[in-house]
Amino acid sequence: MRRYLLTLFGSLIATMPCNPALAAPVKVAVAANVQYAFADVAADFTRSTGVAVEASYASSGKIATQILNGAPFELFLSADDETPRKLSSAGMAQLPAKTYALGALVLWSKDPAFDGKQWQSWLKSASGKVAIANPQAAPYGAEALRVLAYYRLTDSVKPRLVQGDNIAQAAQFVDSGAAQAGFVAKALVLAPQMQGKGRWVDIPAASYQPIVQDMLLLKPAAANPDARKLFDYLSSPAAHAILQRYGYRLP
Amino acid sequence: MIDLQPLWLTARLAATTSAILLLLGVPLAGWLAHCRRWYKPLAETLVAMPLVLPPSVLGFYLLLAFSPASLLGQWLQSIHLQLVFSFAGLVVGSVLFSLPFMVQPVAAALSSLPANLREASYTLGKSRWHTFWHVELPCIKPALVAGLVMSFAHTVGEFGLVLMLGGNIPGVSRVASIAIYNEVEVLNYPAAHVYAAVLCSFSFLVVLAVNLLRRHSERLAA
Repeated sequence: MRRYLLTLFGSLIATMPCNPALAAPVKVAVAANVQYAFADVAADFTRSTGVAVEASYASSGKIATQILNGAPFELFLSADDETPRKLSSAGMAQLPAKTYALGALVLWSKDPAFDGKQWQSWLKSASGKVAIANPQAAPYGAEALRVLAYYRLTDSVKPRLVQGDNIAQAAQFVDSGAAQAGFVAKALVLAPQMQGKGRWVDIPAASYQPIVQDMLLLKPAAANPDARKLFDYLSSPAAHAILQRYGYRLP
Repeated sequence: MIDLQPLWLTARLAATTSAILLLLGVPLAGWLAHCRRWYKPLAETLVAMPLVLPPSVLGFYLLLAFSPASLLGQWLQSIHLQLVFSFAGLVVGSVLFSLPFMVQPVAAALSSLPANLREASYTLGKSRWHTFWHVELPCIKPALVAGLVMSFAHTVGEFGLVLMLGGNIPGVSRVASIAIYNEVEVLNYPAAHVYAAVLCSFSFLVVLAVNLLRRHSERLAA
C-alpha cells in the first residue's frame, strides 16, 4: 500500500507542468465590484499582448488578508483606497498605489412596484429586506449606510438590512429575490449578465463619499514584467473605455 | 474586547437545532432501524447526504427555495414565516445539515439491539410504541447522548450554510463562525483569535466527552 502511494505521488510530481519558457499568467486579485468589468479588461489585454491573466475575485478585506499572509498575487484591484494604503505601509507594494476608477452606487430591485423616481419613499414603505455589502469590510457597504443617513432613512431601513459578504453577494441576494432591494455597485447592474433583471436607479453622488478605487502592484510582480504591463494598461484609453461602459468614472 | 452576542447566538442555534433533531431524528432512526422495505437504502442515503454535500449547495438551494420570489417563499410569507435572513431559517437549514449526526448513531444502536428484547416485550402484550419508548430507547442512552452532543457541535461548526442563507445580521444570523470570518476580513486578528479560542476549546471538550462516553458504555457492556 505504502509503495503504491509513493509511486502514485511520484508520478504526480513527474507529470506536473514545469516549463519556465512559457510566459506565466499575471495573477490578479480583484475586488468583487470590478469582476465583470475586469473580465472584459483582461480579455482585451490578452488579445493585444498575448499575455494570459488569472483573476481571483473576493472582497478587498479578504484579499488584503491573503496578501499580508503571502498570497502570490502580482496586482491588486481594490474597491477602495484605504486597503492599498495599508498594504503599502506594510511593505507589500512595488509601486505607490494608483487610482484606476471611481465607483458609483445604485439601488437595484426586481420588485415590480419599485419606483426609481420615488425610491426614497418606496424604500421607506417597502417591507422586504435591503441588501448591502458588509460595511466593515467593503466601501460600497459603508457608503450605502451613508446614503441612508443622508436621506434620513436609517431608522426605517436599518432593521431590514442584510449584509452580503461582499458586494457581489449583496447583488446575488437581490437577484435571487431573497432581498427586495439592494445598494450595489453600478458596475454590477451594467454587466451583460444582469441585463433585463429588475430595475435600478443612480444614487445622487452628493449623498455619499466618492468610492475611490486604487490598484497596487505587489512585490511578487518583480518576477513577472507582464504584471507591470497590465498595471499600465489599466490606465490606457482602451481600459478606460471599458471601465466607463461599466459605469465607473475615471480618475 | 469581543462581542459576546455571536457566541450566545451560536449556542441558541445549536440548542434549538439539537432539540428539534431529538424530536424528529429519533423516530426517523427507529423507522430506519426496523424498516425492511426496498426503499430503505434510498432513505438511508438521503439522510447521509449532508455528510458529503458541500454546505454551500444546501445553502444555495435553501436561499432560492425560501426567497419571497419562489412559490414556497410566497406561501411561507402568506403564513408570516420568513426563512431567509432569519433565525428560523437557520434552524431549518441546520436541522437538515446535522440530520445524519443524530440519526446515524441512534439507528445503528437500535439495530444492534438483540431482537429478542423487543419480542419479549411484544409477547408481554406491549405495543410497538410502548416497546420503543420503554424498552429500546432506555437501552441506547449513550447513543442518544452522542447524537445530541454531535449534532449540537456540528451546528456550532456550521459556516457555509449560514454564509449563504443568513445575511450576517447581528443577533439573528451572525454566528460565531461568521464573526471570525468577519474579524479576519477587517484585519481585526485579536478578536478572531478570541472567538477561535472559544470554539477550539469547545470542540475539544465535545470530542473528549463523546470519547469518554463511548469508553464508559463499552465498559458497561463488557
